[in-house]
Amino acid sequence: MAANFWTSSHCKQLLDQEDVDKVPQADSDRGITPEEFRLVKIHMSFHIWRLAQQVKVRQRVIATAVTYFRRVYTRKSMTEYDPRLVAPTCLYLASKVEESTVQARLLVFYIKKMCASDEKYRFEIKDILEMEMKLLEALDYYLVVYHPYRPLLQLLQDAGITDLTQFAWGIVNDTYKMDLILIHPPYMIALACIYIASVLKDKDTTLWFEELRVDMNIVKNISMEILDFYDTYKIDPQRGIPEDKITPVMNKLPAKA
Amino acid sequence: MGDGRVGGGTNRPAWLQQYELVGKIGEGTYGLVFLARLKQSHPHAAAGVSRRGPPIAIKKFKQSKEGDGVSPTAIREIMLLREINHENVVKLVNVHINHADMSLYLAFDYAEHDLYEIIRHHREKLNLPINPYTVKSLLWQLLNGLNYLHSNWIIHRDLKPSNILVMGEGEEHGIIKIADFGLARIYQAPLKPLSDNGVVVTIWYRAPELLLGAKHYTSAVDMWAVGCIFAELLTLKPLFQGVEAKATPNPFQLDQLDKIFKVLGHPTVEKWPTLANLPCWQNDQQHIQGHKYENTGLHNIVHLPQKSPAFDLLSKMLEYDPRKRITAAQALEHEYFRMDPLPGRNALLPSQAGEKIVQYPVRPVDTTTDFEGTTSLQPTQPPSGNAPPGSQSVVPRAIQRPMPQPMVNMPRINANMSGFGAAPQAPGVGALNPGNIPMQRGAGAQSHPHQLRRKADQGMGMQNPGYPTQQKRRF
Repeated sequence: MAANFWTSSHCKQLLDQEDVDKVPQADSDRGITPEEFRLVKIHMSFHIWRLAQQVKVRQRVIATAVTYFRRVYTRKSMTEYDPRLVAPTCLYLASKVEESTVQARLLVFYIKKMCASDEKYRFEIKDILEMEMKLLEALDYYLVVYHPYRPLLQLLQDAGITDLTQFAWGIVNDTYKMDLILIHPPYMIALACIYIASVLKDKDTTLWFEELRVDMNIVKNISMEILDFYDTYKIDPQRGIPEDKITPVMNKLPAKA
Repeated sequence: MGDGRVGGGTNRPAWLQQYELVGKIGEGTYGLVFLARLKQSHPHAAAGVSRRGPPIAIKKFKQSKEGDGVSPTAIREIMLLREINHENVVKLVNVHINHADMSLYLAFDYAEHDLYEIIRHHREKLNLPINPYTVKSLLWQLLNGLNYLHSNWIIHRDLKPSNILVMGEGEEHGIIKIADFGLARIYQAPLKPLSDNGVVVTIWYRAPELLLGAKHYTSAVDMWAVGCIFAELLTLKPLFQGVEAKATPNPFQLDQLDKIFKVLGHPTVEKWPTLANLPCWQNDQQHIQGHKYENTGLHNIVHLPQKSPAFDLLSKMLEYDPRKRITAAQALEHEYFRMDPLPGRNALLPSQAGEKIVQYPVRPVDTTTDFEGTTSLQPTQPPSGNAPPGSQSVVPRAIQRPMPQPMVNMPRINANMSGFGAAPQAPGVGALNPGNIPMQRGAGAQSHPHQLRRKADQGMGMQNPGYPTQQKRRF
């Protein structure tokens, strides 16, 4: 529920990695590989993030938007639901849910500014509003999402390592380039980020983790996945995935008529 | 949930065919409310219950404004109701979309009555007070639903008699359902004052801290409203009927405050220390403190002995200082609910076995309106002078055609369900630990997710009705 992750729809909807990685039939028919499927999701997470910088919304809104985006593609294909339109619409819907509504016309304005060179990313207000309804349906009207941010702050406080806040917070932000939020409870993601931060900054948190009595194997596995992700993609945090890498993939997907 | 695909060459979405429209039952700024029946062929319909399918109330949302998409009110209502599940909270059974005209439909279990109509029936038709068993059962269930919401960090913010539904005949007869979550908020995030959102809600049930411009909400605002509703159930008249100063962004409502001060006396900084920090208390000091009232005495208005548990509970709900105001969880434990008559599951049963059952009118239905809202009739003005200002109820005040329904005089079942559940508990893991982090350590620590889950469920403690533990059986 609103305050209780364990009874929430978010908790009930957690998926296994395999379910999340599965390329929808319509997309694999178009030659999208699992790696490319993942690449599009990373690319569009950046798109949401950059658009959010323009319209100035809180990190929480971005996180909710990216979660919606990733959830949609566990159920729908990119062929049927154009990610270039789904991404800004997720930001639009998330801004309403998180009580900081961004006008659709503002989004349209900034998309035009950001994507001046690529016609395929540009949409009209009407497109966003129509997609908003399709999105509600695709999400099965489950809109409450939990994030690692709140538990992160509480846990850092508890561990007495609040000096790592900024560093760990940044790692949490980066986890939205992955599908972790669809697979693990948010506090486990927070713990993994703390684990990475403390190891990299030479803080001994062994005893603290022991006392927590959480399954350290899971925490370590999530941490490894995050480190693997950094290693594999080495993404420039400002620019995202280089164009020569993403454009051929995006071109496999149909664009608006 | 709903499939918005357009069916059969018309603009009518396929999902519409699962309903049989009965007519329009309400209208508000957000849109229209219809009564429909689920067609029996539909898999969700229980077999052999009756020839007609279960009644469903369908709330149709118009687009809020051109270019704004789905109204934030609808989003809030969907978001919250999709997560919560409690016997005393209205049940969202389905959501549908009509892509053709971009309208959104919420389908709820239909409730035949609401407190507004029940109170009105007693005041205008029966000229009789509501029997003490019914008052107590209604209040208990209202608090039970509210306790669930508050322990899940949800403030309703617009509690008033017309938003509190009561189920008609059937398996859930006489059970309260809190409805209309269009203004409800999860309050982990800071809440903006209502006036900032340009929202109009009735001021009669509004807590004094809001009327004085408090910038932050707590669940105590809902408890003030419950106090007002409790008094109204006892006297059949709204307790504080202030005249709203419209068209002002200022939350300050002098007349409403005056009405409150007349009954409860002026609040003082001694009894309510944070009063001094409220914007309107400082800015409008001459206005507010200009009038001096003799404390009329709440007990004279509600006709309760000052020493009675009922009066004690009421005055704790109408405590000025929101931090001292009784909480829903505390109220459920109050002595009032432990003495005869004990509250029960069906609030609408007669107070004595063999006593005549009150036949409440069923909701009037305008059968001339279709789902598009096209109608041949113009709604008339409300017949009652008692419609609260800013009332946006699900119930139309327009057409009043009371249609008494034959009712079987059922013997009262022992609805109290002794031993069925523990009395409502204090909020559990969720409320104490908003981040839901399993931080138990040391002795008795549980870290197994299943245990955690169970603990959380116990904390919610709400999946069963949890009526108060019986000291005495009613029969």
